[in-house]
Amino acid sequence: MSSAALPGRRRVSRVAHKRAIAVFVAPFAALFTLFYLLPIAYAVFQSTRVVEREGTFGPPREVFGGLTQYAQALQSSPFWDSIGRVLLFGIVQVPVMLALALVFALLLDSPLVRGRRFFRLAFFVPYAVPGVIAAIMWGFLYSPNLSPFRPLTQSVDLLSAELVLWAMANVVTWVFVGYNMLIIYSSLLAIPAEVYEAARLDGASQVRIAWSIKIPLVMPAIILTAIFSIIGTLQLLAEPQVFRTFSSAVTSTFTPNLLVYSTASVPNVPLAAAFSVLLALATFVLSFTFLKVTQRKAFQ
Amino acid sequence: MRTTTRAVSVALLALTALTACSSGADDGAAGAGDTASGGACEPAGEPVTLTYTTWIPGIEDVVATWNEANPDIQVEVQTGPNGNGGTYQNFFNQLEAGNAPDLGQIEYDALPNFRVQDGLVDLGACEEVVAAKDQFVDWTWQQVQLGEEDSVYAIPQDAGPMALFYRADLFEQNNIPVPTTWEEFATAAEQVRAAGGYITNFSQADINQFAGLVWQAGGSWFENDGEQWTVDLTNEESVKVASFWDDLIERDLVSTYPGWTTEWDNAYNSGEVWTWNSAVWGANSIATGAPDTAGRWAVAPSPQWEDGDASAGNWGGSTTAVFQGTEHPYEAAKFALWLNTSEEALTALIEAANLYPATTDGAQLPALAEGVEFYGGQPIYDVFAEASEQVSPDFVWGPTMTQVYNDVSDGFSQAITGGGTLTEALESAEGTTVSALEAQAIPVAK
Repeated sequence: MSSAALPGRRRVSRVAHKRAIAVFVAPFAALFTLFYLLPIAYAVFQSTRVVEREGTFGPPREVFGGLTQYAQALQSSPFWDSIGRVLLFGIVQVPVMLALALVFALLLDSPLVRGRRFFRLAFFVPYAVPGVIAAIMWGFLYSPNLSPFRPLTQSVDLLSAELVLWAMANVVTWVFVGYNMLIIYSSLLAIPAEVYEAARLDGASQVRIAWSIKIPLVMPAIILTAIFSIIGTLQLLAEPQVFRTFSSAVTSTFTPNLLVYSTASVPNVPLAAAFSVLLALATFVLSFTFLKVTQRKAFQ
Repeated sequence: MRTTTRAVSVALLALTALTACSSGADDGAAGAGDTASGGACEPAGEPVTLTYTTWIPGIEDVVATWNEANPDIQVEVQTGPNGNGGTYQNFFNQLEAGNAPDLGQIEYDALPNFRVQDGLVDLGACEEVVAAKDQFVDWTWQQVQLGEEDSVYAIPQDAGPMALFYRADLFEQNNIPVPTTWEEFATAAEQVRAAGGYITNFSQADINQFAGLVWQAGGSWFENDGEQWTVDLTNEESVKVASFWDDLIERDLVSTYPGWTTEWDNAYNSGEVWTWNSAVWGANSIATGAPDTAGRWAVAPSPQWEDGDASAGNWGGSTTAVFQGTEHPYEAAKFALWLNTSEEALTALIEAANLYPATTDGAQLPALAEGVEFYGGQPIYDVFAEASEQVSPDFVWGPTMTQVYNDVSDGFSQAITGGGTLTEALESAEGTTVSALEAQAIPVAK
């Protein structure tokens, strides 16, 4: 910084800096602690509680129960079923969505396409639709009786037990392709023009440039979107919740978050807290593993 | 260095999952149960304001009538979604946080659940409440006592005796007799299917409706002998009812739309579905959900299991409960009594929400004798009055009905979509219910 470059004022400015930093960081730190760290700590605390009572209607007392709730949670088959379901969902949906996002970003970035601004906006618009509204809209589109495409939806029941997961995958893809595309696209814009110039001088075609230059250079952006998507997948809540009103095939334990929600409404708060903590750990492990595996290639 | 930063940010992102999930549970740290319990029921001696949460349509006008006449006991009413649709969860969270409203609407089936969470004030200490006992239909009062001699955990509001709503026009046009037994119902189902419709919709979401059918058949899912609970979702009657519907579902004689959705409304409004064996308040649901069918409906008694039987099930019906943490149990009880026993309040509730009062006098109100236009001018409440007398007083609700409904409903979903049967769903839910009771440290007989 310019002031730090002046030796005589260094001391003063250091102190001033520290104060300024404190002032700027304080609102964030306060909110972060209040709405982030404390709730997490409280959830962890709750997950270690068990209920005790005397008789059939004695008042409940919460006491320390160690890892009882975690043992319960790990033995719960709906929990594992729901994890399996979102993993299957993620393994298929995330690559498809990111591949589409990458293709759209490359097309927008290529000199061959006209109407770039229009398409950029058009692809991004679905992301501006709130997730719940998007799910309701697609629910009606899929419905065998209310859809405008009834001949299709009556012959293929997209809301049946076999297909409803993929019907939701389609909704999530529709909403998030544009968002991910924009992240990748902005990373493409950051590539210096000289690189392309050099490639063209060497006689590289547009396809070759995309494959050998653009994709490797935007790899960090792709990995970022992949991590966001993995986390988003494990947290699926709005789509299955809304689809419960369209399809009998979506149970109250369809995804881990829905399971947490219905457990909390019993109300069995300690068990719901244990599910949440496990889900957060699983998300962390999965995202971190993904990062570990991919970073060697991407961040060389 | 870069790796560490990334690892940290990933960790933070992952933790977002945790914050997002736990927010429902974090509304407050104070445990319920140590707040003022209902030992005394004394007037405050000063003007008070009470809060009341409910989902009765048109309640605002009824409360306004009270507020005008009682400047010293003002009631602020708040409406929300129906109980299992979200209001109960709010109540549980508010109780946990120590900021529950003074009064709330709770259906009979959910009362034990709130009792187990220690959320209800025992109004047995309020003289006026105890004195009102004789005004209520016996079984409704029994439901609010929860098996305790001197306790009253809520004021009964309405009952949900069940009868058969049917499309009189369609049955007549197709020469199908209106079924009086379940056997005839199954036969009629075939005829209706042949005519291109469905006789009714089996909703996997409405387990309390299914419980009403079991209730009618003489079964009960729970028992509480004062020391421990018995869970029996697979008694003879339940299995009989489940097999009956299993058969209809398997033969595609009933539709299976999720209840209370646009799809479901559409099925009734378009004439695809012809009957609904539902509670008295269902009169309102059909009128709002299927407006195009006005004038074409009629009501008959529910089909019976044996020819000549006369028993009815019950679905829903609510109470007005006073929550732990209230500072004014006396005033709250006073309002709840007025709301559920006075002629003016009950008449308004009947007209606005088709409620069927839980008091014996209320059931005689002139508003209930009138013909209802939507039902072709039929005085439909006569049918329900008869059904009300046929409801068995012995049906007991368990202390974790939200969980029971969830688990049975999940099993029913699978049965409807081709994985298993309703009977299997009941068996599996019986197991999970026992575990749920144990998790709440409630003694269960095995």
